Amino acid sequence: MNFLYFDPGLGAMIVQAVVAAAAGILLFSKGVMYKVKSFFGLTKEKEDTYDSIDVEEQDTDTDDKKN
Amino acid sequence: MTKKTDAHQASFRDPSGYMFYDGKTLRRAIKPIYFPQYNKLKDSGFFKNLIANGLLIPHEETSISSEEIIITPEEIPFITNPYEWSFEQYKHAALHTLKIQKYALSKGFILKDASAYNVTFHKGKPVFIDTLSFDFYEEGTPWRAYKQFITHFLGPLVLAKYHGTEVFKMMQTHIDGIPVKLISSLLPTRSKLSSVLYPNIHLLAKMESKHSEDYKAETKIATLSKKSQENILESLYDYIKDLTLKEASEWGDYYSKTNYDEAAFEAKKTLIKEWIKPLSPQKLIDVGGNDGTFARTVIDSVPHIIVTDIDSNAVDYNYKQLQKNKETNMLPFVCDVLQPAPGIGFNNTERNSLIERLADYAPDVTMALALIHHITLSGNVPFEKSAEFFASFSKNLIIEFPTREDSWAQSLLVRKREFINHFDFYNETEFENGYLQFFTIEKKETVKGTERLLYLLKNKNHEA
Repeated sequence: MNFLYFDPGLGAMIVQAVVAAAAGILLFSKGVMYKVKSFFGLTKEKEDTYDSIDVEEQDTDTDDKKN
Repeated sequence: MTKKTDAHQASFRDPSGYMFYDGKTLRRAIKPIYFPQYNKLKDSGFFKNLIANGLLIPHEETSISSEEIIITPEEIPFITNPYEWSFEQYKHAALHTLKIQKYALSKGFILKDASAYNVTFHKGKPVFIDTLSFDFYEEGTPWRAYKQFITHFLGPLVLAKYHGTEVFKMMQTHIDGIPVKLISSLLPTRSKLSSVLYPNIHLLAKMESKHSEDYKAETKIATLSKKSQENILESLYDYIKDLTLKEASEWGDYYSKTNYDEAAFEAKKTLIKEWIKPLSPQKLIDVGGNDGTFARTVIDSVPHIIVTDIDSNAVDYNYKQLQKNKETNMLPFVCDVLQPAPGIGFNNTERNSLIERLADYAPDVTMALALIHHITLSGNVPFEKSAEFFASFSKNLIIEFPTREDSWAQSLLVRKREFINHFDFYNETEFENGYLQFFTIEKKETVKGTERLLYLLKNKNHEA
């Protein structure tokens, strides 16, 4: 069902396994660091205009139930 | 059946559908090949939620038949392209794309492409404009738009971090993003130590060259779990969110360096406000508008305002103010009047030139404050040439002319050294002669306490 209308690049498809592994380690260690820091009260809230990567879900839940 | 008058030149790449002009309205036709995706996206509430969250441009279904579905997206007054964004804007567009991909993934869809042209700025924020960019997620498949995300977003952003935002202009010469190999070679060696840049750029470049000769598509692609893909997205998101320019922000607060005092500054503001009011413009553009200070004096009465500047830092500063004040009717972008963005891509029409877009936008009022001495003296553009440029898109033009006595004009003249006599034409009379070929003078006043003249000019071809 994929309409491959541009070449995604074979190397790019293969490399994602390695990228994901690196990202996993990075995120995990960041999480650990965050816990350690917050245990010692070293975390501070940053002020910026970016939201989190996650999208608000309220609407979707109801929509999903309809299907 | 809607009559398709004019296919939009930017939408031929995707076989799922295309954009076309129905009179003046831009609509999108969806072909049967994309019906299953479209229906699922609509029925599952996916579109609805993306739109409710301001992530996707809203659209209405105009007609449905077995041959095609026509949808009409909300009109966007002016499209800006990646090479016209400031650093912050570029970052926001990248994060926006990642956010949509992560959400799509959680709902069983993917972004099938991650082109920077799928995002533009509307109502003060980035918005995704390619409604047909979604496809079904197949369990275990890697993200096929991953490389495109790197060449369109991560690459340019990281290069800008090390080399400055001039790098974004490379998007003009590479419509499908900066090649990975080139990104990799332009990055400093120490970037190989970064746990994000090494795999996402250097290793990617290596793998791409290694597998570039697999013509028969024989190599097996390993599966990638959904969780793994989410990890990629999240780590890219975190990395890009924290990206900053290495060059210290050089936006040196222009207005503290003005050669006139506070009173003159206010006098200029008042004059502009007074002149604009009776024109009651719907659309206004401030060319060389810096951080939008002067455009902001009329922000409450003009529905749509564009502010351009050559200085990416000023645009960045303006964009941040916009976010802070939650202003939705101002659009800042980077533009060098002496070298406006050309038409690029297939037939040179895939992305319109700035001149074409400005003519389409047709602002009711154009402002050019403290700009003409730069165009004329730094760019050596004769008055009738710059007048012709402004006349190509302006109805009313508010233009400030610093006379020869103005200290800035003087400093630019002095820098001509032995050629200073070649610029004797830089005076009030010659200025008026040049501009009167295209405009009539409606108002003319000296800005109090300065050596500058302010003109309100009317385009001869736009007389009501």
